[in-house]
Amino acid sequence: MPEPAGQGPSARTVAGMVARGAAGRWGVVTALVAVLASLPAAVGWLPASDAAVSAADLRAAVLAAGDVAFSGYAESTGGLDLPVTDQLTSVADLFSDRTTMRVWWRGPADNRVDVVTPGGETGTHRDATGTWTWEYERTRATRSLLAPFDLPAPPDLLPNALGRRLLSEATTAEVSREGARRVAGRDALGLRLIPAEAASSVRRVDVWVDRDTGLPLQVQVFGKDDDRSALDTRFLDLDIGRPALETTAFSPPFGSTVRVSGQTDVVLEAGRRIQPVPLPAELAGLPRRRLDGVPPGIGLFGRGVTLLAVAPLPPRLAGGLRHALADSPGAVVDAAGVRVAAGPVALMLLDPPGHGPYVLTGSVTLDALAEAAAQLPELGGTP
Amino acid sequence: MIVVELRKLFRRPRTWATIAVLNALPVLVAVLLVLTDLAPRPGEGPVFLSAVFINPALFALAALAIVLPLFLPIAVAVVAGDAVAGEAQAGTLRYLLARPAGRTRLLVAKLVAVLAFVLVTVVIVAVVGYFVGTTLIEPQPVVGGGTSVSGTSLTQQELVQRALMAIGYVALSMLGVAAFGLFFSTLTDSPLGATMGALAVLVASSLLFTLDAASPIAPYLPTRYWLSFVDFFRDPILWRDITRGIALQGVYVGVLLAAAWANFTTKDITS
Repeated sequence: MPEPAGQGPSARTVAGMVARGAAGRWGVVTALVAVLASLPAAVGWLPASDAAVSAADLRAAVLAAGDVAFSGYAESTGGLDLPVTDQLTSVADLFSDRTTMRVWWRGPADNRVDVVTPGGETGTHRDATGTWTWEYERTRATRSLLAPFDLPAPPDLLPNALGRRLLSEATTAEVSREGARRVAGRDALGLRLIPAEAASSVRRVDVWVDRDTGLPLQVQVFGKDDDRSALDTRFLDLDIGRPALETTAFSPPFGSTVRVSGQTDVVLEAGRRIQPVPLPAELAGLPRRRLDGVPPGIGLFGRGVTLLAVAPLPPRLAGGLRHALADSPGAVVDAAGVRVAAGPVALMLLDPPGHGPYVLTGSVTLDALAEAAAQLPELGGTP
Repeated sequence: MIVVELRKLFRRPRTWATIAVLNALPVLVAVLLVLTDLAPRPGEGPVFLSAVFINPALFALAALAIVLPLFLPIAVAVVAGDAVAGEAQAGTLRYLLARPAGRTRLLVAKLVAVLAFVLVTVVIVAVVGYFVGTTLIEPQPVVGGGTSVSGTSLTQQELVQRALMAIGYVALSMLGVAAFGLFFSTLTDSPLGATMGALAVLVASSLLFTLDAASPIAPYLPTRYWLSFVDFFRDPILWRDITRGIALQGVYVGVLLAAAWANFTTKDITS
């Protein structure tokens, strides 16, 4: 309606102007929110550029990248609910939790990995002869000398360490190329490993390799019957370049407790028990491996991502494990014994009279575990 | 107008009573620590409380860590929620707006006053914590300043620098709460409603942060990076979460202030 000439705007016109002003202002706010909310998604959609590299060449590049120096920030997410006892909770947490790590890598024998928690951290400083572990929560520094083998620790979960380890024994027939994606803001080429062994509980491993350096940037492990990854570890930030020596070096601070570690002694001590059971050269179709410095009572079978370990257990550890296994949902109980699978990791406890308890564990199927136990009659396995 | 708002806020006995109550809890904790001689282990209890027997000056940070999860956000939400809704409830808002200054300027003045309150409160808690710590607690004879979370030694100068940055970061972390309080304050005439609204957002954010299923939205939760002031005491400083925390608070302040402006400038003022 036209306004009468010579008069001010009517009440209706004022109301209309106010409404239009409000709509305009809320439009500005909505647009601002839309732009801000879409920013992360837009960054995520940046396309990765692929390269014409064969799977065998890419695997070779990963194995050759051991000396690439870098610093970064990594996150590993594990979905494995391992049934374990009080002594090994740190190992179980590693595979079931989200672990965030800061890394400074000058080389395989000179690096530092800090596991960062909201109110503290645990740092592992590796040098030529061993490691220093700093635990802020306990104000404690622990010195460990290099052992023939170690229990899994956070540094083993870094994409570069895990990727290289899993690919080191893969054959050319087992690996294939798998596109490209952006990881930690860098172009990563996909490499898929499908283990050839029938006994393997791992369906596939996807390693995303930095195009420029050959450094694995992300590693995803998938179990046989799970579409979600059982383990996913990736860099979120990565800077190529050698970090300063004083960043990786460590000396125990004033006022802290200093001790020498004996964590692997639990396993080694049991392995040295007087009458080791002779282990066969092959178990469940997996050939035995030779490991220097490991007592003959402990056997490791298999190759690459398909591994099976047979080890004696101290009785106090076995008692707790027996209960944990029996309480696990999904535990298989039959004539062969009690066994349980947590993602691709399978566990079985054997308790032969006169020998003390033994544990069979590894990245094998439950059927392979039963088959292995049947091949060990001295350990009470029933053929 | 900004000066008027600041004067009004800091002349109010209620403002100082809030700050006094906020300081009471850290002081009580310090007294109990001295009486019982029982400091929590590192990583347990409020951050840095374990270190105060080695370096009593760190009680400034421990005091902030004690009030950060609940007391400080409540105080900020009370003041921010009262900013506009309090005037409306008291019936003074339309007189304020009768001045030719305009609604946008009033909103900016209110925001500046709330920000000043946040800064003053954080600094007072830190200063009171520092004096309480250094006067009540006997230090252990230690060379240098102290130990970082990463187990390296920090000089006294490094420690002071990082403590100042951490105090600044805590103050910045409260801006999101202040912005929520101010926005809700323009929506309602009830200061209590605005305060409770801001607190509801914080409680929801804290709850979602602990939930694994909510991890895809965790980076956008207003409380997500609050504890990152600890990262100033890692060696080297872990800037990743600190910069994200600052950016996130900036986004919340920007968006909520824009929403408060869009709502307030066209709102019918009836009281």
